[in-house]
Amino acid sequence: MDDSSVLGGASLPSSNPDAKKRRVTYFYEPSIGDYYYGQGHPMKPHRIRMSHNLIIHYSLHRRMEINRPFPAGPHDIRRFHSDDYVDFLSSVTPETIHDHTHARNLKRFNVGEDCPVFDGLFSFCQASTGGSIGAAVKLNRQDADIALNWAGGLHHAKKSEASGFCYVNDIVLGILELLKVHRRVLYVDIDVHHGDGVEEAFFTTDRVMTVSFHKFGDFFPGTGHIKDIGAGRGKYYALNVPLNDGIDDTSFRGLFRPIIQKVMEVYQPDAVVLQCGADSLAGDRLGCFNLSVKGHADCLRFLRSFNVPLMVLGGGGYTIRNVARCWCYETAVAVGVEPDNKLPYNEYYEYFGPDYTLHVEPMPMENLNSAKDLEKIRNMLLEQLSRLPNAPSVQFQTTPPITQVPEEAEEAMDRRPKQRIWNGEEYESDADDDEKPRFHSLNSNSRPGEKMEMRDNADGIKNEIKEEITIDAHPPS
Amino acid sequence: MEGWSKLNGGSKLNEVGIVQTFVTSKKKLCFDLDSSMGNVDDCNERLRSMFDQVLFFFWGEVSREKHIQPIPALFADGQPADLFKLFWVTWKLGGYDPVSRNGLWAFVAEECGLDGGVKASVKLVYMKYLNELDQWLRKAIRGKSLGNGESEIGGKFGLLLLELEKEFRGFLCDEQDVKKKEGKLVEFKGKKNGKCIDLDIDKREMLLPAFRGINEGYGNVERNMNDDNEKNCFHVENKVSVSDTPVVRNVCIQKRKRESVSLLGMLNWVTEVAKDPHDPSIGRIPGCSMWKKYSSKELWVQALLAREVLLRGRRIGSNTEESVLQKKLKMHPSFYEDSKVVNHRSAEALRCSERLPSFTKPRFCPCCNSCSASPSKVVTACKVEVENTLKEQLHLSVDIRCSNPIGGISNDENFQKLVPVLVPVGPLYQAEVPEWTGTVAESDSKWLGTRLWPPQNRKLKSVMEMDPIEKGKQDSCSCQIPGSVRCIRYHVVENRTKLKLELGSLFTQWGFDRMGEEVSLLWTIAEEKRFKDMVRLKPPSLNKFFWDVDVLKFFPTKTRKKLVRYYLNVFLVRRRAYQNRVTPKDIDSDDEKEFGCVGASGGERRWRWCVVVVVVRAARAVKGFPVSESGGRLVIGDGETIVLGLGDSRKAMERRETTGGGW
Repeated sequence: MDDSSVLGGASLPSSNPDAKKRRVTYFYEPSIGDYYYGQGHPMKPHRIRMSHNLIIHYSLHRRMEINRPFPAGPHDIRRFHSDDYVDFLSSVTPETIHDHTHARNLKRFNVGEDCPVFDGLFSFCQASTGGSIGAAVKLNRQDADIALNWAGGLHHAKKSEASGFCYVNDIVLGILELLKVHRRVLYVDIDVHHGDGVEEAFFTTDRVMTVSFHKFGDFFPGTGHIKDIGAGRGKYYALNVPLNDGIDDTSFRGLFRPIIQKVMEVYQPDAVVLQCGADSLAGDRLGCFNLSVKGHADCLRFLRSFNVPLMVLGGGGYTIRNVARCWCYETAVAVGVEPDNKLPYNEYYEYFGPDYTLHVEPMPMENLNSAKDLEKIRNMLLEQLSRLPNAPSVQFQTTPPITQVPEEAEEAMDRRPKQRIWNGEEYESDADDDEKPRFHSLNSNSRPGEKMEMRDNADGIKNEIKEEITIDAHPPS
Repeated sequence: MEGWSKLNGGSKLNEVGIVQTFVTSKKKLCFDLDSSMGNVDDCNERLRSMFDQVLFFFWGEVSREKHIQPIPALFADGQPADLFKLFWVTWKLGGYDPVSRNGLWAFVAEECGLDGGVKASVKLVYMKYLNELDQWLRKAIRGKSLGNGESEIGGKFGLLLLELEKEFRGFLCDEQDVKKKEGKLVEFKGKKNGKCIDLDIDKREMLLPAFRGINEGYGNVERNMNDDNEKNCFHVENKVSVSDTPVVRNVCIQKRKRESVSLLGMLNWVTEVAKDPHDPSIGRIPGCSMWKKYSSKELWVQALLAREVLLRGRRIGSNTEESVLQKKLKMHPSFYEDSKVVNHRSAEALRCSERLPSFTKPRFCPCCNSCSASPSKVVTACKVEVENTLKEQLHLSVDIRCSNPIGGISNDENFQKLVPVLVPVGPLYQAEVPEWTGTVAESDSKWLGTRLWPPQNRKLKSVMEMDPIEKGKQDSCSCQIPGSVRCIRYHVVENRTKLKLELGSLFTQWGFDRMGEEVSLLWTIAEEKRFKDMVRLKPPSLNKFFWDVDVLKFFPTKTRKKLVRYYLNVFLVRRRAYQNRVTPKDIDSDDEKEFGCVGASGGERRWRWCVVVVVVRAARAVKGFPVSESGGRLVIGDGETIVLGLGDSRKAMERRETTGGGW
């Protein structure tokens, strides 16, 4: 496969991507694949199991820490969702769905057709949410640079309403957890559907900036107009990139990179959450975009390059073989390796036939996004971004910004962010043979004592792992 | 209005003319039939079409028969039936009973230009399609003429038809008027207007497709129940109105007039509300749960019902989209709309309301609610609409605020016409985000979950010796037919075994023991076969209760979870294996379509062999993996068991292994 189209220009060489390792934590609930929305329902938690299967068969686990999430309880979920709604979700079952109290609530909470009541509904939500909160805590504790939860990313769920196959908004809950430690969190959504639930939840705050790239126009959920920019204090902190059918890697990248570049520059988030809905891939059962797995993963690659704590979540994705391909590949991008295109033999090998490859060719379909349209959208959004005050008003001076320089020299930012508050040398495998300087903390002891202790413990474990499994580690530069 | 009444008058005259022609033609036809039973084909095309109209009107308005038969009517040999001819021939012979008594169906068939051999079929078609009309006509005639002789029937029939026609034509007249009125609104309507006019035409002149639509509605359980309700209402109400004397009918007509007056009231009400939604004189609209208690005399009830009807009309257009279970289709109706469409829709509302007397009258009848199987559904739709109205009004203000039009942004219509859907703001919608204080809040360490990798207690000494990572499959293998189902199965099991060695107990903790075709080892061959047969017999796309009812019934010992697991891990894998080799251009891992062919038969057995051989090999290669056999189960070192279920002895197995190879 020719990578040059995808990986040319500013991106990193695919064979040895940015040569830097990140400490990656991955949350996986082994029972997730057995949840079943119902016959014919496009949402299939099985895809998460398929992704996990590929990840393990590619031996990517050897480069990560893998945790089984702690299930989020009703109390935790109430941090965002309304009491009534959580009570309903935690008590409804397929058997009791027609009970008087529940039947009344089905309509109220939009539970029924799109969001059916299935066996184990609430424990599914608990696992998905537990993974995202766990990922946030991992980043909060600086135990990891990148935290993955493919069972998360259910971005449509509202405060008191299920929507678009989503019941509990694990993203909002994860971001709320991140906000305990991070002043500003950037949320980026590359699902083909607009990330309406997250946008709505943080519509009036400047502590979270939401950026969604999505199909707009006669498409679920109908929100995400380019003119939706937030309200109150959150004005200009919601960004919507409306796209049309058939967008390909090049066009997508032509929007994603400059916009995210600018966002990182002016917003300087302390942490980033990327929702990797795989329904923006070519050939998705519900989507209408035409991205290749590499084009999709380029978003992750780019965000990763800023070296800001990064939470990576799943989301949509309804052609399950491609979802598994995509999330496996993105896991590989997160840990910084380029897996073989030929799939290893695995339990779901036949799902990936007749090619049995990791990457699939995009579809021969028309890109309805003209260069002119894209140009206009880009300019309009960049103009909107320029109206943002640099790094918003949240007590700018209490802690120095930790935004990192991306690797791309040609896209270097005007403003060099200051050093990171924590020391990059503590990374598990910081084979930092990139020539550019990066977060070298002046004083790694500047952290609070208790945190330090925690880190030390973690590092002990990390070092052990490093000795045993890191193959191409170099001493820190 | 004056101009229209003139028009009305004109068209009535015209109508009378038509009916007279109809009657005369019939007389002529009677004559023809009497003299020669001759060529019915000669009869006036207009007469024929009028019969069709009368018949459809009868079916729609009078018939007690709940199930309208498929159209066109077909004889057993697949030929479409000429109902007009059939009716007329049979009518002349005295109707269904006399013809049956005298065994004249073959004669009727021949008269209709058919082979006498299809007489049974002819009889059946008459029975199903025409007998009710026949009997109703006879009864009506008897009632009026008090048993006058048969000779008069033709004339009476004509008269009756005349009356019927009058009503029928009157019914259409209203529509025509409305359509004329609509003509004036054309400039407001834009493109979509075309659809509306088409609908008119459909109803007015092409009754056949309209009926077919309803008929399909009956046939298809999945279809919106509202359609059915609507139709029921139709029946119920018209049973009352038509089977009565002309006096009652007059009442009906009056009623209709009254309604159109009250609709005017409703329209005025809507206008007033639109002008000032907060006007106290409008009063409060009760919660949707109360709506049933209000009669359709309430203006707001009418307005809601009208909206509901219009909404439904709009959705018919997007039917194709709605047929699939898709996210985008379940979206809030307001999401479809942009402000232009909103404006447009209000224009449509005005327009269509004027048409209501003729079309949607039945929906205003009180029986709508009583016979509705899902009244709440209708009500909710109304409620949603009301909410939308409010939202839309908010949008308009947004529009004004965003004075910078985005029209310039794109040539794409979407961008030009769509305006933001208002994101609701308030404590009911947003998350509570605390101010940043600079102090870091603690996170509960429970969220770290259970660390499964790297393993807590195990040195990973072997890891470095293992295969290099990120590697795909090897290029070549020594299988007899590389790439065959067998070959792949063998390598999959081989890889599993390696993985199991690396992961140890994690293999089970991560659920690998419940992944892939090995799941089938917990099933007996007979169970697997039963599952396959059942799926093949019942395409689940046609039966959404597949997992709930059928499968569980067939497999009382299996939980739903086990069934689903089998389906995803075994059944689909085998189906995909088949597709990859037989229909590689048409693959489907996502239940997009119905179930196609399932892997070659005997797959289960071969799979079992494969597992057994590989497991035994692997067990031999690695110490501490003893294999024992007990009671038809193969027990491997750490307790994993395989149900042999094949009647294979271990001896046979090993023999196979030593001689076999070459998978």
